[in-house]
Amino acid sequence: MQTAKLTRCAVLTALALALSLLERALPLLAWIPLPGVKLGLSNIVTLFALLTLGAPYAAAILLLRAVLASIFAGSLTSLVYALAGGALSLLVMTLASRSRRLSVYGVSVLGAAAHSVGQILAAAALMGSGAVFSYLPLLLLVSVGTGALIGAATAGVLQGWDALRARREACR
Amino acid sequence: MEQSKPQLSRKPRPADWIAAGAVVLVALALLLLPLLVRSEAVTVQILQDGALLYELPLDRDTTVTVGGDYENTIEIHGGAVFVSHATCPGGDCVRSGAIRNAGRSIVCLPNRLEIRIVGASAADVVIETEGVCRPQS
Repeated sequence: MQTAKLTRCAVLTALALALSLLERALPLLAWIPLPGVKLGLSNIVTLFALLTLGAPYAAAILLLRAVLASIFAGSLTSLVYALAGGALSLLVMTLASRSRRLSVYGVSVLGAAAHSVGQILAAAALMGSGAVFSYLPLLLLVSVGTGALIGAATAGVLQGWDALRARREACR
Repeated sequence: MEQSKPQLSRKPRPADWIAAGAVVLVALALLLLPLLVRSEAVTVQILQDGALLYELPLDRDTTVTVGGDYENTIEIHGGAVFVSHATCPGGDCVRSGAIRNAGRSIVCLPNRLEIRIVGASAADVVIETEGVCRPQS
C-alpha cells in the first residue's frame, strides 16, 4: 500500500512538472497582459492529489514540482511566487474541500484566487512595496475563470478515477 | 486505503456560484476602493525617447495624437488613459487597455512612446508596464 502511494506521488509529481513546463509555452500573457497570469494547469494535479491522497501528499507533490520546475526553467523569484501562491492555495483548498456544499469547481476557484493573493503577497514582500496590490483585483477576476476551467478539468479526471476504482471494486 | 469521508461533488453546485461570486465581489471592491478614496491631482505624462511631450491632468477628458515613426492616439477619458488608435504593427499598446492608477504605464516600443500616470499618491516604484508594444516578427 505504501509503495502504491509512493508510486502515485512520483507519477503525479512528474505529471505536474510536465504541465507546469507546458504552461510556460502557452502564450496566455499575449491575451491578458498582466504579469502573473497563468492557467495553473499543475493545480489539476495538486487538487487531484489533495482529494485522493490527502493534504500532506499534495503539499509534498507541490513542493517537489515547484522546486523542479524552477530548476528546469525559471528563476529563484518564480520559485518564491510558486511556493507562496501554492502554499496559500493548498491551504484554502484543503479547508474548502471539507465543505459539504462546494464541488470540485468551487474548491478550484477558491484555490486559484488564493494563489493570486499568495503571489501578490510574495511580490510585495520581495519588492518591499505595496504597489503590486493594484494588480490583485484583476488577478482575482482572471482567477475565477481559470479556476473554473481547472475545476472542470479536475472534475473530468476525478470522474475517470472514480470509474476506474468502481471497476476495480467490481473485479474483486 | 482511500479516504472514507464523503466524496467532494464532481458536478457544479449552487455554493460554487456563491464562492465565485464572492471572489468577484472582493475583486470589484478592491478595484473601486482606490477610485473612491483617490481625489488628489494626478497627471498623465506622455514621453517620447524619454523626453516629456505632454503633461495633462487625468481628470480632464482630452485626446492627444503623437507622431514619430508611427502615430498613436491617446485618450484621457473618465479618469483613465488609453491608446485608442495606433499605426504601429503590433498594436499592443491599444490592446493593453486603460490605466487609471498612479505608477502604471503604457508603452509603445515601435514609436518609443511611454504614457505614465504620476501623482501625489504615486507608487514610488513602477513594477511592470501594463503592455509593451513590440514589432511583430
